[in-house]
Amino acid sequence: MDPVSLLAYFVFPGYAFLILMAFFLEWLDRKTLAKIQDRYGPLVVGPSGLLQPLADFIKLLSKEDILPTGANRGVLTVAPILMVALPLTALFFIPMDGRRALVCFEGDLIAILFILIVMALLVFLMGWASANTFAAEGAMRSALQMLSYEIPLALTAICPALMAGSLCISNIYASQARAGLPFIAFVPPFGFLSFVVFLICSLAELERVPFDAPEAETEIVAGWMTELTGRRLALIRLGRNLSFLLMASLMASLYLGDPLTFRVAWLAPLAFVLKVLACAVLMSFVRGIVARLRIDQTLRVFWTYMIPLAVGVLLATKLILTLLG
Amino acid sequence: MVAALTPRFDLERFGALKVGSPRHADVLIVTGPVTRESRPRLIRIYEQMPEPKLVVAVGACAISGGVFAGCYNVCGGACNVLPKVDVVVPGCPPKPEAIIDGLNKAVEMLRKAGR
Repeated sequence: MDPVSLLAYFVFPGYAFLILMAFFLEWLDRKTLAKIQDRYGPLVVGPSGLLQPLADFIKLLSKEDILPTGANRGVLTVAPILMVALPLTALFFIPMDGRRALVCFEGDLIAILFILIVMALLVFLMGWASANTFAAEGAMRSALQMLSYEIPLALTAICPALMAGSLCISNIYASQARAGLPFIAFVPPFGFLSFVVFLICSLAELERVPFDAPEAETEIVAGWMTELTGRRLALIRLGRNLSFLLMASLMASLYLGDPLTFRVAWLAPLAFVLKVLACAVLMSFVRGIVARLRIDQTLRVFWTYMIPLAVGVLLATKLILTLLG
Repeated sequence: MVAALTPRFDLERFGALKVGSPRHADVLIVTGPVTRESRPRLIRIYEQMPEPKLVVAVGACAISGGVFAGCYNVCGGACNVLPKVDVVVPGCPPKPEAIIDGLNKAVEMLRKAGR
């Protein structure tokens, strides 16, 4: 490989950038939540607490590693590594430089949806392998939740792809620049509705408030993460930050393409990162203002409202595109 | 204790968060007298925490049993039950500033032990 592409893979927009962004997003999330609750949030470690997530990561790496009796060593060793590797893989399909992803092929949107399902299954496996009542309960809830959000998530992600006529995320992002408007503004209110459904499904996918029943700390200890300590917990937390980054950047690339910054070489990456941060702040904001739904309420929200809405938006998009020719 | 976590004193400034599972915890904060009922549970939670771990007893009740010391169902404070209590924060109730100071002292101890 030549030095330029090596730099692209390992520095920007490759591993180093993605992992730093993941830590930065955790800081942003904690700060946003603190602001909403009228607190300061992390303040002491590094400038305005910027290094807090990194400090937590290093601290967890140095903690004692406990494997409970009866837990499955294999699953609990491999799954945390996969929890980091899978979102990293998926992030390579995202056009982080605002132009073209490092890896892009026709159908990488489907590949990302597949990776998201595999991650949900890993969560289930990990909870089950922990040999703990709370972890098993969390795993059950997580599996139930997966059954409810995957369908509307996939259906709404297809809407921008329909407009672009492509299943490649870089092409979808570029087609919005060509069309002259982001998909979120596509024939109001359909583009916006699609965005809202996607946002709600992302929150469920990330197990964030209000869909954090699988790890509800006030009722089932820490859900499927209950028995994880030390390095395993460190990897899981990094993986969750990476998935947060993944969903935010997926949202930015599917819905927030724009013609203004796309053509300027230095502005495109900057604009894309800003869009990702805006999506992340939006998700943190929701976390600050709503309460947790029970798992049956989550299911009801998705099966009775989100799925029909997603199908409706998909049909409307197809119809409008056919009429406009 | 609640005051130390909420907006006015906000312990998260120092990076401290309340966690649900003892497996994720670094510091165990005992806030009341240890009764005969709660004693085995306290010991179990202590044993579930991964090393290195710290115990902070907050308030007179948690230190010695306070006004409940000598009751038929009270085994005294955390000091009587757990193998070690690293920091005690006296007071009835202790001020949030005192709790924050106690936690910072605990972190200091950990840092010294690491060297």
